[in-house]
Amino acid sequence: MKLLLVEDDAETAAYIKRALGEAGHTVDHAASGRDGLLLAAGETYDVIVLDRMLPGIDGLAILRTIRASKVGTPVLLLTAMGGIDDRVEGLEAGGDDYLVKPFAFAELLARVNALARRPPPQDTPTSLAVADLEMDLLKRSVTRGGERIELQPREFQLLEYLLRHAGRVVTRTMMLESVWDFHFDPKTNIVETHMSRLRAKLQRGGGAELIHTVRGAGYCLREP
Amino acid sequence: MFRSSSLRLAAFYALAFAVAVAILGAVTLTTTRAALGRQFDARIAAESASLAQEYKTEGLMGVVQAVRERDATPGALDFGLQTLPGARVAGRLAAVRAPKGWSVLREDEAREGLEQTRILATDLPGGYRLLVGDDVGRVDALDGVLFERFILAFAALVLLGAAGGYGLARGVSRRVDSITATAEAIIDGDLTRRVPARGAGDDLDRLAASFNRMLDRIGALMENLRQVSNDIAHELRTPLTRLRTRLEAGLTRTGEGNREAVLEAALADLDAILGAFAALLRISQIEAGARRAAFRSIDLTELASTVVEAFAPSAEDAGGSLSLKADAPLIIEGDAELLTQMLVNMVENALRHAGSGAAVVVACRRAGGAPALSVADNGPGVPAAEREALFDRFHRLEASRSTPGSGLGLALVAAVAKLHGAEASLHDAAPGLEVRVTFQKIAG
Repeated sequence: MKLLLVEDDAETAAYIKRALGEAGHTVDHAASGRDGLLLAAGETYDVIVLDRMLPGIDGLAILRTIRASKVGTPVLLLTAMGGIDDRVEGLEAGGDDYLVKPFAFAELLARVNALARRPPPQDTPTSLAVADLEMDLLKRSVTRGGERIELQPREFQLLEYLLRHAGRVVTRTMMLESVWDFHFDPKTNIVETHMSRLRAKLQRGGGAELIHTVRGAGYCLREP
Repeated sequence: MFRSSSLRLAAFYALAFAVAVAILGAVTLTTTRAALGRQFDARIAAESASLAQEYKTEGLMGVVQAVRERDATPGALDFGLQTLPGARVAGRLAAVRAPKGWSVLREDEAREGLEQTRILATDLPGGYRLLVGDDVGRVDALDGVLFERFILAFAALVLLGAAGGYGLARGVSRRVDSITATAEAIIDGDLTRRVPARGAGDDLDRLAASFNRMLDRIGALMENLRQVSNDIAHELRTPLTRLRTRLEAGLTRTGEGNREAVLEAALADLDAILGAFAALLRISQIEAGARRAAFRSIDLTELASTVVEAFAPSAEDAGGSLSLKADAPLIIEGDAELLTQMLVNMVENALRHAGSGAAVVVACRRAGGAPALSVADNGPGVPAAEREALFDRFHRLEASRSTPGSGLGLALVAAVAKLHGAEASLHDAAPGLEVRVTFQKIAG
């Protein structure tokens, strides 16, 4: 994938660029908002990673300019501001996701991957499937190998999220945000608990493990 | 002195007042004078008509008789009767030359007792001319007296006005000066200074009260900021020291596997520190009250059921239970995200401190009309004397020093409650502790 990183801090930029490169992505780096704007308008990227605080200019201003010039590339905002309203502001300005510094690199990578392969908005599938696991979004039912699996509403949401991001790593915080709408980090292991219950239900028929734990990062739903 | 706006204003008003009084005086004087003149003329014309009537009925001798009688009466008008060629017949004005109609005695004819005489000359049939006159000098004298009195009154008025204005302006500017002095003292660093109120409840007192309330608010915010910096300095030092020790030990110890374990532990320490840091920032942001804009209608029961549902499996896995007691929607105005975090903190606090086998109950109910959200556990509870301090930042009971937690959980609960105008309180759940947030009664 081809990514654009707009980040003024040279050390952070070099680290992110190297790590994303190791994960198989091509990264263009812009050290200033102006360069970032020029690159974003001139080239085609899969994802833009934009720092909110750039020298002399608010990253949000750049984001608005990008959106105003009809560039629809998904944007992941990075910020050092832990402010409560900052996330809302960032999303309102046209951002697609929001990550507060300091963050674990696995978190950044998972979010970049999730953004890049997001299906076009008009494409709304009525069913999702991985291996012998199927989810009917209209009937709100799940089957594995033809056997019906009863899920709690929240477990259904969790599985839907995993299926929509099948093959990609999903982090704990991503699930907290999208499934429970919790935009803070509880100290209790609620994701782990719900995930182990979901796993147990999916395994009841004795099939192969579909949900894999990715150490230090999160979970990944994929073919065995 | 004219750099004081109130003095300038007072001077301007005194001047405008003086001009108005002067105009009023001038109008009064001219009107009085005209009225007096008309009265004199009317008296002259009446006498003249009366004598003409006398001439008609009594003839020349009757008029001469009448003129002589009147001349002898003190305070009467002046009269003169002459033949048309100008020969004197009778009266003090008999020798005076005056044209027919109204005129004033010519200066060359003036003599003792007849200075400014206004004369009406009428011709009587038979070749006689009758002159009736009066001394209008008396009008001028009266005018002079009036004018003199007016000037005196005017001077007194202007003096009084100026003095009053000056006094008022001084009073106002003295109070403005006291506000300025207070502001200056605060700029110089004395935040305890307040503007003295005079107690009259007037606009300046209200200004002083607003000013003082603003200062109180700023003072509270400053205190909050100072408190946060102190907390960060003191409380984050402990985990940072622990982290440092760990890293140092990792450097000196050899062996790859060992190093990895040290790094992982260090990362966990660091995450805990960053978590505490974020919680502190969040609490101070909430305390600054900048978040009310995000308020909307929220069903507490729905919010609580989401949280209970999310945490119940974890509680059960730990051998305990988490349940919800609510039967009706409980609508309040608030910030959903903060209220969720508040309830999560309350639940986590209960689960952590009640130990294994904890039975935690979240309840949404109306207590005397006021919506209340409470979380009760069946743990060891907290002695009544120690309860209030639980809401302080970094406060941790001695008994719980060994359990994980930053000591910020309930501080955030208190901050969110305060933002919502709600009261956070601690009660004995016998056994265990109940943390309760009581919202304000909804009007209507």
